[in-house]
Amino acid sequence: MLARLKSSWSYLAIAALFVALILAPFHWFLGQYTTLMIFIGIYTIVTVGLCLLMGYTGQVSLGQAAFFGMGAYISAILSKTYGVNPWLAMLIAAIMTGAFAYIIGYPIFRLKGNYLAMATLGLGLIMWILFVQLRQFTGGPDGMSDIPYLSIGGFVFNSSFRRYFLVWAFCLAVLIISQNIIRSRTGRALRAIHSSEAAAESVGINVDQFKVKILVLSAVYASLAGSLLVYHMTIVNPQIFDFMASVKLVVMAVIGGLASVWGAIFGAGATRILSDEVLLRFGDWDVVVYGLILVLVMIFMPEGLFVKLKEVFQRLRLRYRQRGIER
Amino acid sequence: MSGSVILETKGLTKAFGGLVALDKVDLSIETGKITAVIGPNGAGKTTLFNLIAGVYPVSGGEIYFQGALLNKVSPPKRASLGIVRTFQHVYLFGNMTVLENVMSGRHPRSSYGFLEAALRLPKARREEEAISLDAIKYLNMVGLGTHAEHDALSLPLGQQKLLAIARAMATEPRLILLDEPGAGLNTLEKRQLSDLIRNVREIGISVILVEHDMPLVMGLAEWVIVLDSGQKIAEGTAAQVQKDPKVIAAYLGEEVE
Repeated sequence: MLARLKSSWSYLAIAALFVALILAPFHWFLGQYTTLMIFIGIYTIVTVGLCLLMGYTGQVSLGQAAFFGMGAYISAILSKTYGVNPWLAMLIAAIMTGAFAYIIGYPIFRLKGNYLAMATLGLGLIMWILFVQLRQFTGGPDGMSDIPYLSIGGFVFNSSFRRYFLVWAFCLAVLIISQNIIRSRTGRALRAIHSSEAAAESVGINVDQFKVKILVLSAVYASLAGSLLVYHMTIVNPQIFDFMASVKLVVMAVIGGLASVWGAIFGAGATRILSDEVLLRFGDWDVVVYGLILVLVMIFMPEGLFVKLKEVFQRLRLRYRQRGIER
Repeated sequence: MSGSVILETKGLTKAFGGLVALDKVDLSIETGKITAVIGPNGAGKTTLFNLIAGVYPVSGGEIYFQGALLNKVSPPKRASLGIVRTFQHVYLFGNMTVLENVMSGRHPRSSYGFLEAALRLPKARREEEAISLDAIKYLNMVGLGTHAEHDALSLPLGQQKLLAIARAMATEPRLILLDEPGAGLNTLEKRQLSDLIRNVREIGISVILVEHDMPLVMGLAEWVIVLDSGQKIAEGTAAQVQKDPKVIAAYLGEEVE
């Protein structure tokens, strides 16, 4: 009974979210924030991948910006320099990034815990250096500009209003796919690995293989998000994918609640709003704020801010209902 | 002849650096029996389990399962061949419900993958339904059917150990290895455990258990193997082994003249 009530409430919450998302870009609602909402959608896609990797499978990545940047640069270079159709470029970028994640996956997962964190951190740094140094392809520190828009037939995604729907269509597809994976045999295998690798192997779960597969999936998500980013901004530069970018992605995943896919929207949203609207005034001190958030959340609500808020909401509702029964 | 032997080791040896944990051990485990491996601390019992489960590679000798060489087979592959183990420290999946723990045990007996799961294709839905029905069956077998939706770690230790066995049974093993299943249980829980282990044997599954609790071992085991300092010093029925002077010496120390 309680379980059914709970699920009907979460359906209602998801339905409300859908309506709000569809209405948001109209000028009489949240139109002035369309650009911000596009960024939230893009970063949600990357965050969902991190949730699967860190929250469900328990494998840390401090270098997720590497895959994000690969998606962005491969799309930009193919469509701008070589005139490849942007959709095809996006697909090629996703395949190349996924293949790259697959190749580095097996060696990198020989490491565990802090060592894995260091290795992924190194990966992020190396990729960032490549973006800066491979001048003839990437345009060096200045990056690239005038990257073409995506289009379907004659319909060009040349306004924020149009791109908003494109980005959120991708975002919701990624969320639904991820939710399906979590509620499956594969999802159980990932959580089993997080809980005990020895026990997971004892029931026939191929631990290394699942870790690599989920890394590849998270890399493909990040690559898609990177492609959407360049086709939205039509520019790209290395600063977007530096070490701080990887840290911010982790902050998003942690705020969203590592073990909640829908929380990713909340995590990406809260962090983007914080960085775009509030932290600009702090200058370089924003690093301190991110660090503080990360530490406080991990100490006081390790299940994530989103999950915590959900719990509080449920408790309030229960109390309200009980009061109704007493009367 | 090979039909009656489920697991065989020949000259099985494991050394950790200079320490020889198992030294040229020859074993022959009969199909459909409850076999106990006993011995003082440090005798090599858990090492033997870990070698059979494939946790680490052997240093020498061979392991045969149903006549096939097992040495190079990976641990998850062993589960699909029909070898499953439980752990001394239980190792339930703490981030799952009781039912989900058992559903995880169905992993080697189901096949739908990433893509089918991502798109919720008919094959995924069909298998998922079968997985949860099967899991409930195994949960009822250990008497935890009413706890399906509880968090796995909210159960008392005795029930956690039963759950671990249900999870292992869900893989449909031919051979189940139980690592100190009785440790930390009270008398009533031990009786439930003994009944369950006998039920498992009744279904035709071979059981090997490592156990310190002698009354439990003597009540259950049809064959007892005694290890000491990495070597097999005796084997036989419970009654035979109990009288063996070498076994008594291993447990109580040598008699001084």
